[in-house]
Amino acid sequence: MKGKIIEIKSDLNTAIKNIIKTLVQKKLFDAVFVPVRIPSRESFAYLLIKDKEILESITPLPPTMPVQGARALKDLTRLGKLNLRILCIMRPCEIRAAVELAKLRQITLQNLTFFSFDCPGVFPTAEYIKSPEKYDQNIIEKIKAWQEDGLRPNCSICVNFSHYNTPADLHIGFYRNHLLIYPVSKNSQKILDILSYRAEDDLTEWENSINTLLKKKKENRSRKFSLLSNQTKGIENLEEFFTGCINCHNCMRVCPICYCRQCFFESPEQSHHEAEEYLARAKEKGGIRFPPERMVFHLGRMNHMALSCVGCGSCEDGCPMDVPVGQIFSFIGNEVQKMFDYLPGKNLEEPIPLLTFKEDELHEYEDTREKK
Amino acid sequence: MKALKLSQSPDNAIGSLLKYLFEQNKISAAFVLCKNNSRDYFYGLITDKNLLEKITPTTPIMPSSAGKMLSKLTMLEPLTSPIAVVLRPCEMRAFYELIKLEQARPDNILFISFTCKGVISIKESKDGFEEKIEAYQKNPATELTLPGLRQCCQICENFVPENADIILPLIEKNDLNNTTFLIKTEKAEDFVQGFEAETVEEELNDTEISKIKEKRARKKAEVFANITPDKLGMKGLIDIFGRCLNCHACGRACPICYCNLCYFDSADSEVGPKAYEAETETKGAYRLPANTIFYHIGRMIHISLSCIGCGMCTDVCPVSIPVGTIFTRVAESAQEVFKYIPGRNIEEKIPILTFKINEFEEIGEE
Amino acid sequence: MEQTFNPRIIGFLCNWCSYAGADLAGVSRLQMPPSIIPIRVMCSSRVDPLFILTALLRGSDAVLVAGCHPGDCHYQYGNYHTRRRIVLFNKIFETLGLETDRVRLAWVSASEGGRYRDVVTQFTEHIKEKGPNPLKKEIFL
Repeated sequence: MKGKIIEIKSDLNTAIKNIIKTLVQKKLFDAVFVPVRIPSRESFAYLLIKDKEILESITPLPPTMPVQGARALKDLTRLGKLNLRILCIMRPCEIRAAVELAKLRQITLQNLTFFSFDCPGVFPTAEYIKSPEKYDQNIIEKIKAWQEDGLRPNCSICVNFSHYNTPADLHIGFYRNHLLIYPVSKNSQKILDILSYRAEDDLTEWENSINTLLKKKKENRSRKFSLLSNQTKGIENLEEFFTGCINCHNCMRVCPICYCRQCFFESPEQSHHEAEEYLARAKEKGGIRFPPERMVFHLGRMNHMALSCVGCGSCEDGCPMDVPVGQIFSFIGNEVQKMFDYLPGKNLEEPIPLLTFKEDELHEYEDTREKK
Repeated sequence: MKALKLSQSPDNAIGSLLKYLFEQNKISAAFVLCKNNSRDYFYGLITDKNLLEKITPTTPIMPSSAGKMLSKLTMLEPLTSPIAVVLRPCEMRAFYELIKLEQARPDNILFISFTCKGVISIKESKDGFEEKIEAYQKNPATELTLPGLRQCCQICENFVPENADIILPLIEKNDLNNTTFLIKTEKAEDFVQGFEAETVEEELNDTEISKIKEKRARKKAEVFANITPDKLGMKGLIDIFGRCLNCHACGRACPICYCNLCYFDSADSEVGPKAYEAETETKGAYRLPANTIFYHIGRMIHISLSCIGCGMCTDVCPVSIPVGTIFTRVAESAQEVFKYIPGRNIEEKIPILTFKINEFEEIGEE
Repeated sequence: MEQTFNPRIIGFLCNWCSYAGADLAGVSRLQMPPSIIPIRVMCSSRVDPLFILTALLRGSDAVLVAGCHPGDCHYQYGNYHTRRRIVLFNKIFETLGLETDRVRLAWVSASEGGRYRDVVTQFTEHIKEKGPNPLKKEIFL
């Protein structure tokens, strides 16, 4: 048996909700970490739910991602594990970010079980808030037809939207009007056994649909990346690329990976200088912009977290000026991760490349004269 | 008072004045709003007079509060050589509040400001900015429904820069071909000495100003009618702030919020798994990110007395919460209690940093 | 059986006056409801308004801040600052349409055991009438 199959009778959210409810009823979990629509209806927030009645109101598959789940989970478990067995329903990119944060010791993974699902992508939060009804309708059609227009730019180039490369415990796949529960990790088999749905061995239909989409997205991705590589070559192009940035640092604030309480670029060392120094700097060029160091911030942040960037696009979502910051981070992230053959969040055991080293590596970046 | 008249647009007139000040070595730098391209606006600290062509001080946009930026410049030590600063009235008030909070120093700064019609919200500047500016310039200041105008600007009654050294009366005139500099202080007179312009006697047009004030006060009453105590309450607050991402962008953009590490980002504000478990147990569920309303009320407690109502917070909010409007409302009632107007007078202490022996005597007794 | 509501009130008591006053009330065996959870602070001005806010938003039924009478502060002027802070706090709560009468500032000197009892009894009665803090059950805070 490879997975279990349920026919979706009403809507997707209810189907997933029923699975969750069953698991809680069978006392496999004490609490569920899942998005819920906020009272004013136009957005979602993560809730850690214990109460069964509140569990009725969940939306496991919201059409938008206002807060990156890993960031919310970090708030909950940064100081240690909870004595609750928690079922987390998160998107693949959120789970990967959570694993990265666990490597950075910002999340305690103990007692957490991850459910991922075939992520259709999300709509930009700012757009969703304006007309939720429109997008609520849309998401179902999107899942059916796998269309990509109107999604977050990062979602349309995401190649890790399914169970590949994501260390979830269980994965929920969709195809036609079926919902498939697929065990990913070893110990998820017993959860699967408890669910009394129809077992299924032949998953080719689902796999084919995923692979077709993957192919399409891969094409999208390489097209986008070659475009970005031209757009961002050289400091002038970069300046142009970041045009409009007002240095609010909001990209860093909503980034799940950027965990520092006080960002280096906001620290006194970096942001407090004597007036004379600012004037001297201004005299060199004729003038400097305020707030200073816009490019230092973006390039510096890239150095700090590009290796762990999961490409979720939260940064772009949080940008009040719509700077395509998520795209460039995804592009640069992809480039540097390739160098170390590293995929952030894929495997908890794999250390972040900058936190480890090999003696015999990267010689091509060393001084070439010595080699001769 | 003494005034200088130039037949140039305000931006060009300010440019000429700054150029003159540079040429006479009266200033070592100018701090003024600049434009790189149609989307890139920023404050620039300019030392080369040839870069003055990039300035655009009266373009209705506020990428960041000049008060906050000037505090970055002058926080560690006062300026030793004079600079000229062109900023909006609320930015100047913010700077004054920061001086009181010991985050900035006023020495060696020539303040040039103008009666302010408001700015277009930065989010609205993303598309069709040129048309919006055109509409903005064409219409008189009594017209409050200009496309993209910040709501905080529509309800701002403190648009006259009381403390500036040089004031440009822009709002009453709406004349793009002539500019007047009102020379308000002796310091300013020293600076403009020898500057070629027609010298006249002119005052701010009080009737026009009070007309605009009245119009904005009415608008304010209209806006505030929707945020009365009975419409708010915790339910109302959750409706307004419910979608808050806890990104704290409002605090970072706020000119008054100066802390390097905000309390709400600090380790002190984090309580740990035991408390989370307990709250999940009593409430049935626990929202994450937590403490969003706590953050906003907390920030109100911290800064409402100094809130100058600039609306930067609303502008940077990624989920478009009208933070600034609520804060202005709360600030108004808090400032009213202590009869305090932030940024009005540099000598006046922020009420929470001082006290009177004989006040609020009924409190604490019975 | 219907459970009676016993308020839990966080009491910030100044070390020099109110804590001693509370102590005196106890030593004198004055009868009062056991509703106060006392937290001793060196001065009532040590009470950051955020403490009060935290207590209320995390579900305590009320907050009592007690300090020396004006003019008697051990640190000379601490309680005048407290007074302003409470005024500001109340004003903000009032403007936001939140309950202001769950926060109380009371001056209780070291010798006023009786007054401490009166304040506590009266405040507890008031909160009992009002009922539990509704924010206790509010998820979307």
